[in-house]
Amino acid sequence: MRSFRTYVSLIPLALAGVLLPGAAFAQPSGVLVIAENETPENLDPANATNSTVNQLLIGAYDTLVQFTAGETQVSPRIATAWEISEDGLAYTFTLREDVTFHDGTPLTAEDVKFTLDRLQAASANVLNDMGPFAGAEVVDEKTVVLRLSEPFGPFISALSRIYIVNKALVEPHMGEDNARQFLAVNGAGSGPYQITGYSPTEAVTLRAFPDYWGGWDGSHVEEVVFRYVSEPSTQLSLLQRGEVHIAPDLTVEDKLALMDTPGFKVDIGAAATPLFFAFNTAGEGPTSDPEFRRMLAMTFDRELHLEQVLMGFGNLPDGPLPVGWLGHEPGTEAEFDLEAARALVDENGWAGTNLLVRYLPAIQEEQRAVEQLQSNLSQIGINLQAEGMTWPAQAATVTSIETTSDINMLYNFPSFPDPHAVLNTTFNSALSGANGGYNWSQYSNPEVDELLNAAATSSDPEERAELYRQVQRLVGEDHVVITVSNPGSVVAMAENVSGYVYNAAHHQTFNYMDISLD
Amino acid sequence: MSYVVQRIAFSILSLFILLFVTFLLSQVVAGDPALIAAGPNAGAAKIAELRQQMGLDQPIFVQFGIYVGNILQGNLGTSWFTQQPIARDLMRELPPSLELVFLAMLINLAVSMPMGLLTARFAHTKFDDAVRLVVLAGAGLPVFWIAIILQQVVAGNWGILPIAGRLSFSNRDFSGATGFYLLDSLMQGNLNVFIDTLAHLALPAFALSLLFTAVGVRITRTSMINEFRKDYVTLARAKGAGEGRVMFRHVFANGATPALTVFGMQFGWMLGATVLVEEIFGRPGIGRYAIKAVTQSDIHAVVAVVFVVGVVFLIANLIVDMLVYALSPRKQRAG
Repeated sequence: MRSFRTYVSLIPLALAGVLLPGAAFAQPSGVLVIAENETPENLDPANATNSTVNQLLIGAYDTLVQFTAGETQVSPRIATAWEISEDGLAYTFTLREDVTFHDGTPLTAEDVKFTLDRLQAASANVLNDMGPFAGAEVVDEKTVVLRLSEPFGPFISALSRIYIVNKALVEPHMGEDNARQFLAVNGAGSGPYQITGYSPTEAVTLRAFPDYWGGWDGSHVEEVVFRYVSEPSTQLSLLQRGEVHIAPDLTVEDKLALMDTPGFKVDIGAAATPLFFAFNTAGEGPTSDPEFRRMLAMTFDRELHLEQVLMGFGNLPDGPLPVGWLGHEPGTEAEFDLEAARALVDENGWAGTNLLVRYLPAIQEEQRAVEQLQSNLSQIGINLQAEGMTWPAQAATVTSIETTSDINMLYNFPSFPDPHAVLNTTFNSALSGANGGYNWSQYSNPEVDELLNAAATSSDPEERAELYRQVQRLVGEDHVVITVSNPGSVVAMAENVSGYVYNAAHHQTFNYMDISLD
Repeated sequence: MSYVVQRIAFSILSLFILLFVTFLLSQVVAGDPALIAAGPNAGAAKIAELRQQMGLDQPIFVQFGIYVGNILQGNLGTSWFTQQPIARDLMRELPPSLELVFLAMLINLAVSMPMGLLTARFAHTKFDDAVRLVVLAGAGLPVFWIAIILQQVVAGNWGILPIAGRLSFSNRDFSGATGFYLLDSLMQGNLNVFIDTLAHLALPAFALSLLFTAVGVRITRTSMINEFRKDYVTLARAKGAGEGRVMFRHVFANGATPALTVFGMQFGWMLGATVLVEEIFGRPGIGRYAIKAVTQSDIHAVVAVVFVVGVVFLIANLIVDMLVYALSPRKQRAG
């Protein structure tokens, strides 16, 4: 992926105004500018479910445990060790001794408890993924117990998005809104970087915190600037001019071109954000017939999509769960076979059926996938009408079964790399669209629900893997979705950016704390 | 005096009609704000709880009543998205947008007025035809398209002006009391930032002004032509007044009035159109804020933006009306 003509890369390097080449143990130096197309809603750790918020907080706050970039296993951060009680209902964490917040206050068990209490009081979005979390108790200054009302297998993983706030700083601002207004524009963390400038429609600036408890070994940048630029063409111009170093939102064509352009490189991260065509399984329409869905499931050519639409940037999906994940079961989804689908259409007299798909036309990949499906279906006599929408509008249509279209397109963005985050979200009837979730197929299969719930409450990986394999087989037999793709996370950057690694547990963020500019 | 009071009362009434229509529209279009605010995997119970907290379970007329009550107390509410008082958000977003609009308006006036006058004086000549052709082309080009072309060619290829943003990277720490960087930099005597701000404004302001200028030239021309036909012009010429004196002292002074009314309205329209250039030139501003509010179903923020743009529109029109009234010979006779 790297360009071999490295001499030319000296030009943007000079433009970027880098002071010194990165040497080990150097003071953080240089300014890293990252373009981002979506402006952040605010800085509140309660909203860390949103990647535009998460990417700012990931370096400014600490968590008990973490997924570092490139890892799919959770590792200690503020917590040095943890113990899980026999019944799986109590998690006891031992905290590091040397952690201090940016104002010098030591981080203690009180801060962990305060953080979680506040998130509960504020009905925070990050708690949506914390399952049956019940509450926190302080044992002593460096020991905290988190209690659950029932066992929850991925609990430790879910804690990777719980950013610990400084109780002494935040408590006076709790007021009526649980400090939402305060934390929306102020930092209260202990991470390696400190948010120093917040203009949410323009730019956000973070600066290396000199007294960071973790120290500053290796090469790092002194300042990180997120610049909010929505137009892909503007991002490209800024990257070419050397005004930004990382540009994630270019068109696929431009990314492809930059791979062979001296001075630039393109990183392809193995993202795990499957894109689905979700069939309405509960409505009155033709897709409520499993046999009809079996026919539909055979009409999408994933290989062609990967080649022509994603230009090879991604992995071929094999079922809803990304290949290689715990409990992945191969071969559960029907393969592309237009002739077999045509035979079913003829046999059942389905020719002339009208279907409606809703999608987000602003997303290039969705637009093209819809066109591809339309073209294939028209070849076998089925008319697919496409309705492009905005996200809130589309999300509102699935809140009742009656208004759910035959097919909906949506991505799954797992909040941590665990099968629960993909399969439970997409297939549990408790999270159907009508129940405010992302199971937009309105799929309800008591057997699947039971397996998903059993897998969630188990902490034995082998047992969980087997339960998830069964879920995938059942869902495959019911033809609930077509898994369209597993698009890679493709990020274009200047050649002098080193240390960038895609983080599957924090999709659409950047490990700027590990990046340096050569 | 009664005229002034009448105009102001009329403006306030229009504002409330505008508010109500926006409120209604936002209910129809935006989707379910509680669903968006609850985040992924929230579940039905939490969404229902949020809906109640946000007051969305109330009938729309009750919601509107509460909202108007708050506005009357000077409270635009809290954004569900930014968690900040909307008034504070808008105070931050308005200056960059207004700065852009002022400059675009300046370009508009600087071109429309003289071009309108000249094409009226030399109406139906080759010169008039040529200007008309250019103007038609200008009016036909979509703003966002012109913005992209200017950015890619003038800034990107030729490297003459900045590609995007409000200030250069080296000036990123600049801040001022008013938020209008042109004003702030002058107040601080910082000529470097003043020029930098102007350079960043040039392309977006030009792109924004183009369509409005095209209309401006045509409107000015029409009202000037009417003036040229009037008897007093013939009289002035007969009395031997020079053509320059006729054009500027007589025709321009009188013919500018109808055009002025249009320019007043254009000011408000421009503020509504800033979104087209703000997105492309990566500038902060009210347009960008509005887009985010719409896509996040942040109803109160959407209504507040429309309200504020409406207020600016009405104030601009009020000022123009007063100006026209003050200049009008009838009023001079009466008063």
